[in-house]
Amino acid sequence: MTIKNLAISATLATFIVIPTATLADTFSLWVRSDGSEFMPKLVEAFNAQGEHEARLQIVPVTEMVQKYGIAAAGGSAPDALSLDLIYVPSFANSGQLKDITEFSKSLPYFDSLSQAHLELGTLDNKIYGLPFSGDASVLLWNKDLYREAGLDPEAGPTTWAEIREHAEAINALGDETYGYYFSGNCGACQVFTFTPMIKASGSDIFADNGQTATLDTPVMRSAIEFYRNMVKDGLVPAGSQTDGGQNFFATFASGNIGISPIGSFAIGALNNQYPDLDFGVTFIPGQNGDWSSFAGGDNFVVSVGTEKMEAIEAFIELAYSLEGQKILATNGALPVRGDIAEDALEGLDSRYITSFKAMENGSTPYSIYFNDLINSRNGPWITTLNRAIFSDSAEEIQNILKDGEKEMQSIIDAAN
Amino acid sequence: MSLTYQQPDIKKPVSKRRKKSNRAQWIGLLYIMPAIALVVVFFVIPLGMTMWMSLHKWPLLGVQSWVGLANYEQLLSDNGFWQALWFTIQYTVAATVGLIGVGLALALMVQSQGRAIAFYRTAYFIPVVTGFASASLLWVWLSNVDSGLFSPLLQNLGLTDERTNLLATYGPAFWLVTIMVVWKMAGFYMVILMSGLQSIPADYQEAARIDGAKAWQRFRYITAPLIKRPFALALIMCVALSMLAFDQFYIILNGGPQNSTITAVYKIFNESFVSFRLGYGAAMSMVLLLILVALSIVQLRLLRDREDS
Repeated sequence: MTIKNLAISATLATFIVIPTATLADTFSLWVRSDGSEFMPKLVEAFNAQGEHEARLQIVPVTEMVQKYGIAAAGGSAPDALSLDLIYVPSFANSGQLKDITEFSKSLPYFDSLSQAHLELGTLDNKIYGLPFSGDASVLLWNKDLYREAGLDPEAGPTTWAEIREHAEAINALGDETYGYYFSGNCGACQVFTFTPMIKASGSDIFADNGQTATLDTPVMRSAIEFYRNMVKDGLVPAGSQTDGGQNFFATFASGNIGISPIGSFAIGALNNQYPDLDFGVTFIPGQNGDWSSFAGGDNFVVSVGTEKMEAIEAFIELAYSLEGQKILATNGALPVRGDIAEDALEGLDSRYITSFKAMENGSTPYSIYFNDLINSRNGPWITTLNRAIFSDSAEEIQNILKDGEKEMQSIIDAAN
Repeated sequence: MSLTYQQPDIKKPVSKRRKKSNRAQWIGLLYIMPAIALVVVFFVIPLGMTMWMSLHKWPLLGVQSWVGLANYEQLLSDNGFWQALWFTIQYTVAATVGLIGVGLALALMVQSQGRAIAFYRTAYFIPVVTGFASASLLWVWLSNVDSGLFSPLLQNLGLTDERTNLLATYGPAFWLVTIMVVWKMAGFYMVILMSGLQSIPADYQEAARIDGAKAWQRFRYITAPLIKRPFALALIMCVALSMLAFDQFYIILNGGPQNSTITAVYKIFNESFVSFRLGYGAAMSMVLLLILVALSIVQLRLLRDREDS
C-alpha cells in the first residue's frame, strides 16, 4: 500500500460521489500569505459573477511548499494554487502540475505576459505556470520620521552611505525609534532584500547558471560590513538577529523604523491596514548608486489531478482582465499583463509605478535547490549571513563567508 | 487468561469446557478488537510504511526508487544527525530533571485536601491544557527583545546592563525553552505523582512519626518506595516526550542561534519536508525509535520492583 495508491483511490472516490462537469464548479485555491491582500478580493469578484465558485485558503508563506507537498502526496492537493514562481520548475519536474500549454497559448494577450514569470513556468516547452502576480523588492522609508529628523521626506536614500546617514538621523530621535530594520534570521527575506544590494553593486550570489555559489566576494564583504556596522552602532533593533520573518513587515508598520527594504506587497498591506503611516518607496540601491530588485511573485499552477478546468480557466481570465489586474495593482501586487499594465496602474500614486519599474528591470536569482540553500530556516544562506552580520569582530567575516560558500557548493554538488 | 493443560481422562466435560473456554476467548478477542484496530491502523501500519520508506529514495514529490540500506549507511556518517541527537539528549536530561523535580515538589505541596489547595492544583495544571504551539507562540512574544516582557524585566531588575536578546545566544535560549517546557508540563507530572502520593495510607506516615522518623526519613523510606510505579510512569513519559521535542525549538528559536538547537525530530522534519528526502527522514525516524525503545527498557529495568525480578 503506497501513498500513491491511497491518492488514486481518494481521487476515484471523489469521481464517484461528485458528478463531473456540472455547470457550476467549486474549486479549491491556495495562496501564500503574501497574497492575503489581493487574493480574497479577486476571489470575491469571481464568486460575485455567480457562475463558479472558488474556495480560498491562505497558507503561511514559510509553510507553503511543505503543505502542498504533503497534500499532493496524500491526494488532497488543491485544484489550483498561486505558487511562488521559484518553485514551479521543481514541482512541474516531479509531475504534480497540469500541462496548460494549450489554454495559455489560446489567450490573445499571451505574448504580453511577464517573461520572467513565464521562463520559470515553462519546462521542456510545456507551460505549467502562468504569470499571476508580481512582487518586487523595494526600499521603504517613513516620511513622518524623516520630517521629525529634519530630512527631506520626499527623497529616499540612493546609496549605502545615504542609508547610513538617514538611519543615524532617525535613530537619534529617541530610544524607541530605530534607523533601519531587516529580518536577520530569515533566508527568504534576505534573498529578497539583501541580494539586490549585491546585484546593484556588480556581483551575485550564484554563477554558472546557479551551479556555483559565490558568497566570498569583495562586494559581499562590504555589504556585510555595511549591515554589521549599523547593527553594532544600534541603528537596528536587537530583535532583528532572531527574526525568522515573523516581523518582516510588522516592524516597519509599527511606525518606529526609518528605513526598511521590504517588497511591493507591503504597499497594499500598509495602505489597507495602516492608512495613517506616511511612507515612500524607492529602489534598493547599490553601494554607490545604481539599483536592483528581486523580481518575484507567483505563477498560477493547476494540480495534475483536477477536473475543474472550466472554472479555473474562468478564474484566470478574470485575473487577466483589466478589472482583475486593477485589483492586483491596488492591493500591493504588480500587474503581469504588459499591454494593460499602464491602465491597471492608472490613477495610482508613484509608489506603485516605482515598484512596477523595479519588477520590470529586476532579476530572479534561481537555483533548483532554492529551498535547501536559501529558504530553509537552517540552510547555509541564512546561517552564514546571520553569523557574519552579527559577528563580534570584522576579521571573522571572510572566514564565515568562505565556510558558507563551501557549504552551499557542497549541497549543489551533492544534488547533481 | 491462563489455561493449564489437564489430562483428558473424562471426555465429555473437558470438550465442553474447551468449547466454553474457546468461546470465552473469542469473546475476549472481540472485546479488544477496537483497541487492536486502533493500534494496527495508527501504529503498526504507519510503522511498517516508515520502515518500507526508509529503504527507498523517496522524494516528497516524484517517483521513489529502492535503495536498500543506503539511507542507513549515509546516516552513520551524517554529523548533523548525531549532533542533533546529542543536543536532544542534553535537553532531555535538563528537561527531565526540571519537570520531575518541579512536578514532585508541586505534588508534595498539593497532595492534601482543601479549597485553597484545589485552587493551586488547578492553577499549576492550567498551562498543561494549552497546546505546545500556542504556548510557544506566547513565549515568542514574551521573549521578544523589542516588544516582549523578559528582556526589559531583566534590565529593570539590574540583572543585565542593557536590553539583551535572550534568543540570540545559546545558553539563555536553551534555558528559556527549558523553563518554558517546565512551566507548561510540570503540572502534568504533578498529577501523576500526586495520585501516587494519595494512595499511600496515612497510617504508615503516622506510625513512622510516632517512631520518631524525621521528614526526610519519612520521604526516603516510606514515600519514595511507595510512589515508585507512578514515578516510573512519569519518568518514562517525560524522557520519551523530551526526546521527541520539536515544536518549541521550531517556533521559538527556529533551531537557532546558529542551528545549535536542532533536535532529532527537527532534523527529521528538515530532511523530510524542507529537503524533501522522505526516505532518509524515515531512516532517521527508525533509528530514533530504536533509541527510544532502548531507553525505555533501561528505565523499566532500573525501576523494577524487587519482587518482580
